[in-house]
Amino acid sequence: MSRVNRREFVRGTAGAAILLGAPQLWLRSAEAAIRNENIALDKREFKKLADIALSTAKKLGASYGDLRVARYMNESINTREERVEDVSSSVNSGFGARVLVEGTWGFASSNVVTPEQIEKTTRLAVEIAKANRAIRKKPVEIEKLPGYDDEWTMPMKRDPFTVSVEDKIKLLLAVNDSAKKAGANFCSSSMTFVREEKFFASTFGTLLRQVRVRSFPRFRVTVVGKGTGRFDTRRSLAAPRGRGYEYVEECDLVAEAARASEEAKEKQKAKSVEPGKKDLVLHPTNLWLTIHESVGHPTELDRALGFEANFAGTSFVTPDKLGKLRYGSELVNIVGDRTQKGGLSTIGYDDDGVKTKGAEFHILRDGRFENYQMSVGLAQKIGRKRSNGCAFADSWDNFPLQRMPNISLQPGKKKVSIEELFSDIKDGIYIMGDSSFSIDQQRYNFQFTGQVFWEIKNGKLGQMLRDVAYQGNTVDFWNSCDALCGKEEYHLGGAMNCGKGQPQQIAPVSHGAVPARFRKVNILNTERSDI
Amino acid sequence: MIISEAEAKRITQRALSFSKAESATVRLRGHERGNIRFALNNSTTNGFQDGLSLSVESNFGKRSGSASTNELDDRSIEATVRKAEENARLAPENAEFLPPLGPQKYLESRAFFESTAGARPEKLAALCGPVIQEADRESVTAAGFLEAGAECEALATSNGLFVFEPSTAVRFTVSARTSDGTGSGWAGQHQHDIARLNVSRLGKSAMQKTVQSRNPVALDPGKYTVILEPAAVCDLLGLMIGNFDARSADEGRSFFTKKGGGNKLGEKLFGEKINLYSDPHHALAPGSVFSGEGLPVARRDWVKEGVVNELIYSRFWAKKNGREPVPNPTNLIMEGGTTPTDELIRDTKRGVLVTRFWYIREVDPRTMLFTGLTRDGTFLIEDGKISKPVKNFRFNESPVAMLSNIEAMGISERTTGSEVDDWPVCVPPLLVKDFNFASLSDAV
Repeated sequence: MSRVNRREFVRGTAGAAILLGAPQLWLRSAEAAIRNENIALDKREFKKLADIALSTAKKLGASYGDLRVARYMNESINTREERVEDVSSSVNSGFGARVLVEGTWGFASSNVVTPEQIEKTTRLAVEIAKANRAIRKKPVEIEKLPGYDDEWTMPMKRDPFTVSVEDKIKLLLAVNDSAKKAGANFCSSSMTFVREEKFFASTFGTLLRQVRVRSFPRFRVTVVGKGTGRFDTRRSLAAPRGRGYEYVEECDLVAEAARASEEAKEKQKAKSVEPGKKDLVLHPTNLWLTIHESVGHPTELDRALGFEANFAGTSFVTPDKLGKLRYGSELVNIVGDRTQKGGLSTIGYDDDGVKTKGAEFHILRDGRFENYQMSVGLAQKIGRKRSNGCAFADSWDNFPLQRMPNISLQPGKKKVSIEELFSDIKDGIYIMGDSSFSIDQQRYNFQFTGQVFWEIKNGKLGQMLRDVAYQGNTVDFWNSCDALCGKEEYHLGGAMNCGKGQPQQIAPVSHGAVPARFRKVNILNTERSDI
Repeated sequence: MIISEAEAKRITQRALSFSKAESATVRLRGHERGNIRFALNNSTTNGFQDGLSLSVESNFGKRSGSASTNELDDRSIEATVRKAEENARLAPENAEFLPPLGPQKYLESRAFFESTAGARPEKLAALCGPVIQEADRESVTAAGFLEAGAECEALATSNGLFVFEPSTAVRFTVSARTSDGTGSGWAGQHQHDIARLNVSRLGKSAMQKTVQSRNPVALDPGKYTVILEPAAVCDLLGLMIGNFDARSADEGRSFFTKKGGGNKLGEKLFGEKINLYSDPHHALAPGSVFSGEGLPVARRDWVKEGVVNELIYSRFWAKKNGREPVPNPTNLIMEGGTTPTDELIRDTKRGVLVTRFWYIREVDPRTMLFTGLTRDGTFLIEDGKISKPVKNFRFNESPVAMLSNIEAMGISERTTGSEVDDWPVCVPPLLVKDFNFASLSDAV
């Protein structure tokens, strides 16, 4: 096909502007465009664009409107063994206009950030809202939010985008070398950095500029048995964080790669687990994901109300359980916040313009279910006044949804070591690192594995195990928690890629925890000797 | 933004003209997509996404670097080319480097439909309206997602390759729940041509399952004969095909690794009736005509009469092994039989009918063991009839075992899964014995 007709409903896209001299991103100077550097966009210029979007929205009948302009810079380096597979940098910018017209949402976006395009796209958002009015029965109502004029920048010591690519490559190749020297057959390592710069303005009078960075160094070693057909891997335990390059330096992946290789070799000879009910001690490098899946997702209010029923699912934690459900044992305190240092969800204001400082909340207090995560328009449905700041859109071209804040298990009150958690276990397993994970659409039944498993026998750590998966029911599992380490053992895990929504959006989120003990959990053996 | 081939050529050539590298590859990708969501029988969120981005790979000798941007003014494009060159100069030599491809011969693309590209917001809303009305009539709570749009992709190299391919896609999925929360149903489809998507029929099918699945009973976990509907088969086969990689097999770290060395190419691993292939010209589920590396994509028989007939060979791995490269498939087809699903049910003495799976993750790559759950319509079949709805199960099973335990196949049809949901897939429902359900789930 030689000619493609544009979709009709984007009238006059700026195709003709391509390759013309004017910089497309209207907020930048031409000189900055040439340098393609880590530039600061101008808030005053943004306000001019916001005025166009918000006045257009109001003129066309919107009761609420907002504009987000975002620019993302990514850098990723991938290596394996002694080779660099790729070094890539990317810049991605654009805007999204959201309007509420006659109680119906409309949203449209474009990567062409010019005054003309902002006006056209805002008109399109209104057109979409009006088209959807036909299938809207109950109007969307949102609470009035306070207006803010503010800037927020994530604190960091070393901006990863100012560290040379050569230094990063040197470190990654040293990781691979360390793994090989320790006996691994293969090692892949990589670093990913994201810089997110967002402007936000709404008809509530809010005008924001926010900048944050994510850093994720990681590796995976593989050991292949000679002639056995058996291979084992061990991934790094370092989590992605909302921090600068200083975090990469603190991780000491070179030392961990050697340890990981030793462990992968040990896995080759490890004992296949005996299935049955066993006590578990979960290290935070494993437990963060269990928290994410079995506490994070079920307590999203949009899910619980049915808004995500078609994809992510609903939740067993229905609103009638608010304040009543004994979710876990009294030791279990789980807090949602967007202010924790190093958290991937940490930011000054959410994507609805809600201030996050002061909005921190207990999800579980002394084991009891106390609060949901909320974005705008949800709080009233459970008799509360206002969102607790959990809106996020993964890009300028997506509608902001309720997404997780940092959700963390609070340490026990006393200083307790991991060894003390082992001490009265007769038959148990200690698990570090996350691997396979799966949970049902209402968040009852889960199955997780890990990176490394050790037997606990009569209070002592024993030999390494393999083929381990733990399966459970969320409420039973959290109620079986009978011991926690103290704050000295706290670790912040997390992921860059939590999926939710349609079209699917990917959110970065952190989960802190201390090592915790769970009694009589169902252990499966995952070996399939028939295949 | 969707652009014409001429515009794509102009932009990619412009980017190549800025290049000071020894060789370079430029890729341009554009999209325009509209979407509508509804939940609680009511419109919720929606959106229109419009983007165009350019990426550049620059090479000096065996050093390579990349950069991309969606800021497509002249200066930004030049800056992106410079950034790719800077990254290339900083990268050490890559022993596996291969120069960009020259001109290739491609099949004619059949993946673009004006009907889909021109769908306006009113049309999308009008398609969803009757589904919501049906949900109201049935007194169930429906949630759904309809997305329609166009994409275009161009690839150009300094060695003279240029290819451009526009395509369209429309996806509709709908689920519904009974008011007492004990029953749920789902239906969904992925098409290139919106005219082939029967939204109303899918809505009715989901509602019917919803009502039918009210008040499920608990069965014991264990091995069951199952009828997997196409959506469930789509996920397991789609996840499996990702493992058909020669290099990881040759390196000893794949299911396809041969004990003692090498890979299982040519081995009969599945039942004789199993034929899995990809073909950009498939009538129901056309695929892209070029791969990420720019290699032409043509029909490939991955499994032929149960034998592993092809594995993916990257350009480097093919060269090292003295073979032709085999690019990743761009669609997936499993040949089926001629038996409608109703007849598969009629021929089943006792079994479980699975509408679809959810949250599937690999547990053990050595055996391709996956775990996941049934969702939105799981029923017991007794004496050739659906006798009652049953509670959802968690499974721990391998598609390898599934493909060896097939007793009958239905008619292959275009479908979409929950994990494999953005790929053209055409697979049949399967009657499979000894499928391993490991535990029960209370989820509805």
